[in-house]
Amino acid sequence: MLEVQSLSKSFYGNVAVDEVSFSVGNGEILGFLGPNGAGKTTTMRMITGFLSPTAGRVLLDGVDVSAKPLEAKRRLGYLPETLSLYPEMRVREYVKYRAELCGVPRKQVPARLAEALATCFVDDVADKPIANLSKGYRQRVGLAAALVHGPKVLVLDEPTVGLDPRQIVKVRELVRNLREGRTILLSTHILPEVELVCDRVVIIDKGKIVATGTPEELRQRMSQTPGLTVSVRGEIAEADAALRRLPGVTHAARIGAGGETRVILEFERGADVREAVFREVVARGWTLLEMTPRQATLEDVFVRLLSSQTAAPAARSDELPPAEEAEPAAPRAEEGR
Amino acid sequence: MRALLAIVKREFLSYFFSPLAYVVLTAFLFINGYVFYAILLALNSPETPRTALMSLFFTNVFYWIFMMLVSSVVAMRLISEERKSGSLETLLTAPVGEATVVTGKFLGGWAFFLFLWLPTVLYSVVLSRYGKVDFGPIAAGYLGIALIGALFLAAGTFASALTKNQIVAAILSFVLILAVFLAGVFKELVNDPKMRDALAYLNLIDHMEDFARGIVDTRRIVYVASGVVFFLFLATKSLEANKGR
Repeated sequence: MLEVQSLSKSFYGNVAVDEVSFSVGNGEILGFLGPNGAGKTTTMRMITGFLSPTAGRVLLDGVDVSAKPLEAKRRLGYLPETLSLYPEMRVREYVKYRAELCGVPRKQVPARLAEALATCFVDDVADKPIANLSKGYRQRVGLAAALVHGPKVLVLDEPTVGLDPRQIVKVRELVRNLREGRTILLSTHILPEVELVCDRVVIIDKGKIVATGTPEELRQRMSQTPGLTVSVRGEIAEADAALRRLPGVTHAARIGAGGETRVILEFERGADVREAVFREVVARGWTLLEMTPRQATLEDVFVRLLSSQTAAPAARSDELPPAEEAEPAAPRAEEGR
Repeated sequence: MRALLAIVKREFLSYFFSPLAYVVLTAFLFINGYVFYAILLALNSPETPRTALMSLFFTNVFYWIFMMLVSSVVAMRLISEERKSGSLETLLTAPVGEATVVTGKFLGGWAFFLFLWLPTVLYSVVLSRYGKVDFGPIAAGYLGIALIGALFLAAGTFASALTKNQIVAAILSFVLILAVFLAGVFKELVNDPKMRDALAYLNLIDHMEDFARGIVDTRRIVYVASGVVFFLFLATKSLEANKGR
């Protein structure tokens, strides 16, 4: 369990993190999402006690980080963004050193060491010097070191940055496996990562939380008016006008060329026009080639949130600006292709 | 306590993975060996008054240059290196206090410093084969080295906590060490007898001459211990201050 309560941090009067609050439950992976410079790392450094907050507090498994730092840090495993290990040490030595540093009882050290090395798939390089390892291996060694004392809360700052695609997959898989009995906070600026790994997302920009929710919720909240892409064979000039007349449809744009006509439909929330579209197409004797519901990707959500932030800085997380105001419909139709 | 030991051990061993350690070790032995030989030659000429060789070894000017230079070089990397590489973040987010980190690093550096002196023990062993050697003053002399080394290294640890640049740390620590050393030497420039006495208490040259003669004075030990605590306290505070930055 990790609770962050109206955490703020300013550096020489510049507000880096502004009244950030959220909590992460046991067994949950929370994605901490934001563009570079949004305040992710600063927030994480306050959670881990590396920086002290200007205001607010952090509870790690119920223990206040500022009041009882040692007790709180015992429950914490941290993988910093710029991970730096001691290159001259061997993997086993380093993880053992971390176990001793974190107060693992002497008798438990060998077992914990073996477990951490195995969990993070680094036992095959256990006797190599860290200097000789690839970045992916180092990242996993860092993770093993963060895990060796059996922390309840894991804070991972951009764990997949700088890794090749295969290593990224491996680290993500590893993080998902670690959720059992733990609370995980993972920061990233890679959107697909959030969808693949996290149960819930907090989006932060310019030090403020701009949205929270499951990836699904955020997508739904942002997928303003539901959309549908319909393709029919042949170049049919009246296609958009015909579909526009169907009940519930609010907008239709035709972008057909090359032997087929493609219409992008928008309709009222709650309306399901798929059957009506199908009947209309059949009644007019057209051949239906494709009918695809348009789903806003998290990327849309993200871009929209951040662009609306600049326009209306007062927007609160639970009162997202309506999509139509944030962006006109036409450019979105272009995006849909 | 186990965390402290873990830090001391890592710190001590890490010296042996850096070429710097071997350069220092080699230069140290080479020059000390030469100094020992020169003292031996000087004492062998008939007109020199009879003196215990090792006491000269512990008080000559090379000894002081060494103490100051070697302490700066040994201490420079202690904290600044971790700050530069970023590993300070993982270290300080482990369940250990800043004071433990600073103390552990200081002790690790001090252990390496003492290790540098270890081979010179052979000199007195060599001497004892050719003549009568009084091991009491020699032991006291090594105690003096250990104590003054601790004071210098503590100053160096503080300097190293202030910057992420090792060269800056080395220069800063040399300046601090020189200041500590000169504080006592200033007694020669002061007329006021009370002031003279106060400064004499700080005079490390006097300290070392006493030790080399086999006099172990508790006041000297108290002075060094309080100096070490003072510098380590400053180093701890400077690490803590970074949290608010």
